[in-house]
Amino acid sequence: MAQAIAKSDYTGAAHAPAKPTFGLFARPTTKTGLVSWLTTVDHKRIGMLYGGFAIMFFLIGGLEALMIRTQLIVPNNRFVTAQLYNELFTMHGTTMIFLAVMPLNAAFFNLLVPIQVGARDVAFPRLNSFSLWVWVVGAILLNVGWLSHFSDLFAGFGGAPDVGWFGYSPLTSKQFTPDLSTDFWVLGIQVLGLSSIVASLNFIVTIINMRAPGLTMMRLPVFTWMALVTSFLLILALPAIAIALVEVMFDRNFGTNFFEVSGGGQPILWQHLFWVFGHPEVYILILPPMGYVSEILPTFSRKPLFGYPIVVFSGVAIGFIGFGVWSHHMFTTGLGTIATAAFALATMAIAVPTGVKVFNWIGTLWGGRIVTRVPMMFALGFIWMFMMGGLSGIMHSAAPADAQQQDSYFVIAHFHYVLIGGATFALLAAIHFWFPKFFGRMVPEFWGKLSFWLIFVGFNATFFPMHFLGLNGMPRRTWTYDANMGWNEGNLFATLGAYLLGLGIFTYFAVLVWSFFKGKPAGNDPWDARTLEWSIPSPPPEHNFAAIPTVHARDAWWYEKTHKEEIAMEKAEHIKAEESHGGIHMPDQSWYPILAASGLLVGAYNMAQFRHPLSFFGRTLGFDYGNSADPLHPHHFELGHVHLAMTGLCILVSACYLWSLEGPGGYHIHLDANGNATESRGGYHH
Amino acid sequence: MTRLRSALRQISRVTAALTGGFALLLLSGCNKVHQVFSLSGPQSTMVTAGPVAERQWDLFMITVYVCTFIFIVVGAVLAYAQIKFRAKSEADEHAAPPAEAGHGNPFVEIGLIAGSVALLVIIAIPTVRDIWYTHDVPEDEKVGAMDVTATGYQWWFKFDYPTEMVKLPSGGEAPLSTGNELVVPAGIPVRVQLRTVDVIHSFWIPKLAGKVDMMPNRGNFLWFKADKPGYYYGQCAEYCGESHAIMKFRVIALSGADYVKWLDNQKKSARTVTAQSLADEANVPHFKFASLKDVGRNSTLSGSPDFDADPFAAWQKMQAPETGESAQLIAAGRKNFSDKTCITCHTVRGHEGIGIAGPELTHVGARSSIAAGVLENTSERLHQWIKDPAYFKPGNKMYHGGYIDVTTGQPKFTLNDAEIDTIVAYLHSLK
Repeated sequence: MAQAIAKSDYTGAAHAPAKPTFGLFARPTTKTGLVSWLTTVDHKRIGMLYGGFAIMFFLIGGLEALMIRTQLIVPNNRFVTAQLYNELFTMHGTTMIFLAVMPLNAAFFNLLVPIQVGARDVAFPRLNSFSLWVWVVGAILLNVGWLSHFSDLFAGFGGAPDVGWFGYSPLTSKQFTPDLSTDFWVLGIQVLGLSSIVASLNFIVTIINMRAPGLTMMRLPVFTWMALVTSFLLILALPAIAIALVEVMFDRNFGTNFFEVSGGGQPILWQHLFWVFGHPEVYILILPPMGYVSEILPTFSRKPLFGYPIVVFSGVAIGFIGFGVWSHHMFTTGLGTIATAAFALATMAIAVPTGVKVFNWIGTLWGGRIVTRVPMMFALGFIWMFMMGGLSGIMHSAAPADAQQQDSYFVIAHFHYVLIGGATFALLAAIHFWFPKFFGRMVPEFWGKLSFWLIFVGFNATFFPMHFLGLNGMPRRTWTYDANMGWNEGNLFATLGAYLLGLGIFTYFAVLVWSFFKGKPAGNDPWDARTLEWSIPSPPPEHNFAAIPTVHARDAWWYEKTHKEEIAMEKAEHIKAEESHGGIHMPDQSWYPILAASGLLVGAYNMAQFRHPLSFFGRTLGFDYGNSADPLHPHHFELGHVHLAMTGLCILVSACYLWSLEGPGGYHIHLDANGNATESRGGYHH
Repeated sequence: MTRLRSALRQISRVTAALTGGFALLLLSGCNKVHQVFSLSGPQSTMVTAGPVAERQWDLFMITVYVCTFIFIVVGAVLAYAQIKFRAKSEADEHAAPPAEAGHGNPFVEIGLIAGSVALLVIIAIPTVRDIWYTHDVPEDEKVGAMDVTATGYQWWFKFDYPTEMVKLPSGGEAPLSTGNELVVPAGIPVRVQLRTVDVIHSFWIPKLAGKVDMMPNRGNFLWFKADKPGYYYGQCAEYCGESHAIMKFRVIALSGADYVKWLDNQKKSARTVTAQSLADEANVPHFKFASLKDVGRNSTLSGSPDFDADPFAAWQKMQAPETGESAQLIAAGRKNFSDKTCITCHTVRGHEGIGIAGPELTHVGARSSIAAGVLENTSERLHQWIKDPAYFKPGNKMYHGGYIDVTTGQPKFTLNDAEIDTIVAYLHSLK
């Protein structure tokens, strides 16, 4: 079971030498500075980069939400134009889903999964780096349109995407959104999907193949289980949207008729393809948060998780049924009676495993000793709020009633209870819980609790009245509303709540920044926790474990704490065995992942506008050659975006090719009796 | 250390109390708190006016009862656990965890799953029943049902009456067509064929029926029945581009006799006002409705008090010609309506207007709203709308393409306030 140690470590055969293919792109060895971060393959550093970018976009998405709420504070408001409002709600949704919650989950996959399975890194470290930078490319493509609001040079972008995060055809066709913003949206989502698929494959292999000795599947921490289920959901769901996006791109640029109404296309097809991805996506967002909560609740209840096998099984069941309920997003599209009934019943069925999870969390609290630290408060807040969001979800499964709620503010209330009250509360719990592990400092309890209460009250004040706005007939995606609709007070109240929520989020992150510099040192195990990450120093060393652990129980670290002698003997043996095979083997940094991603950026950025001539500060670029006097065949070459798009593709392909020639590389770490590390390099073992 | 912790706990309790207090303050400080949770607006799904919306609301309430029951039971257990099993001492916080073996209880789990399924069945049965009921007009009522076609445009609704033919001035017949205000008889099931000429729209009259989308290349439909005559608000519920938020419409349900009167008037060509016709009309009794007093008084609305006090009555008042019309002004308006190229997009049957890109205006003076339900059809609002349509409805085609050339960005004509006033007078004469 000791797959964490490469096979060559046992055979003593040669590692491929870390020879540079190009001097310029030789594998860097520096451990500090910008280059070390750009070329890192360390799962913890990649996790922190994911987390940092994700929090940045979480705050940007929050700012967009506050602008939306400010526009709606009074009827017939003119704070933003209709066009800007549509861009704001499109980008708020897209940002929060693809650029905040998903990468925050990816951050925790990276930070925790290898440590929780007792490994030193993910299965494919360079591929992991590639996922990160490809994600950054996607984030840039989605947001590049904002530039047109700041500079005329980018006026051609036509603003940020404004087709909604769901991009319903035929609104995305060239006829209705002729500007480039939709092209950037299509390619941005496509690129983000690539990043997720690559990362998911990496985590599936890591979780299945790299578990420490004794760590059977039914001993995996629930969070890691949820990471596994989520990864499978991603690789199965994303191809559907990838195909749909390719079809939109072809319709827009190459005259195909997948969704083109005039050519006999079927816009309803987009909705099916989108939601067969989009509904599993909901579980992609919420399953990892269920994992955090399943880690935090037992820790602060001083009790193992109640009904572990059932929690795991219900997570898998949710993932499975999650593929069979997509049309409940389409109850109003004229599905017909049979299909509507089938999807309504399937939707009710998926409530059962979700309810089972809630029951088991309560079972975990039952008979425990509940310590209400900040992460626990967020986790408990999660259960309460997620229950509300789940129950309003059951209301939507009654399709005829949903005909009234669909696309109204009731739906907005519902899914914000799931995605803020659920996913975000759990993420805030997780950030607070694991912050001491990865930064080595504690966050002050008082300020944490203050931010919890601000967020809790602000959140409910914002979204609870929206149930009633929806029942009172207020549709979603509403730039403004008239004063005589009975929506004035509800909107005013929701906006004030949103400001309070914003203040809470600001407090939360301001305290984290303060703690990063000034927090009290955390020690290895500040929460007296259960899983393996708490057995190693805070912050963890690059090799994670001095000795690969042997796992004897589900709560592996609780077991280690009570069986110290047994564990110490095992560890000494592991260290000896590993040193005899050359020491702790670590992967080398590499330039190629970020280089390949930069090729993708150049390619996709120019592909989005490939029909446009390339202009540089208002001038087109080109040159004359041969007999340029001939008016029918002007020998004039004009450089266009299409040429740069091809250049980007070339960079991508050659970077991948050179990456494959780079060899596995790697170096060894040797620990002395005091735990001090020395490194050794070279082709052969000692 | 212990002291510090207890101090911290104290502080956190005070914070919690303060935040809770602040929330209460926010609640009580807002003296219209019942309006925050208001359910009686003109688009309320709770105050229903027909069997479809009523079924949908009743089903919704079943889900509310079941879900509230679950929330109270599970919430009570959760709250009890949170309070009862608090760590009470430093030692508790570091208590040795119990053995994990056999942690869980299959009977509890299976019992809870069975209980959940049973509760869901309570929702499932009426759900399936109502899916069939709300889908189409019930068999026994199909004979008397009436058909209309609603077509979504960016950003207004066109309504056609396929069984009500009107004679065209040019000869031949065409179905009666109107825009943004759908007039139907009360007490009769109405089957609305849903079509679109551009993107997806969604047809929603909350008090009468839940929404169904207008999907390109699909023949969707919905049905509703208004129990009583009345004035109902509707709105597009699927994001359809820049001015989606202000793509509204109205449904006016009339008693059978009134509906026939309304149809007769609609089938007439546009009213032409001359000095002679004004004198003639003074001698004939004005258009009157029998059911003026007994309906449409359930609204508790803010804003525009005159109209909102009783929109149905206000609509009925709009059916009669205004007093003090000036034949000269109206004639000038009719000329301007031509000269300023309005006629290329709007039909005024019997007059010059022949366009079909915009709403039919043959009887626009008798409508209570303009600009797809956004503005009340008063002289002042109509003036403002004609003066600056892009202000009220960004991106609309009357401005982009009608007023200005979209390729050059140059205005196609000039329009001053006096000219607008004549056009307003002309349009308001079209009863």
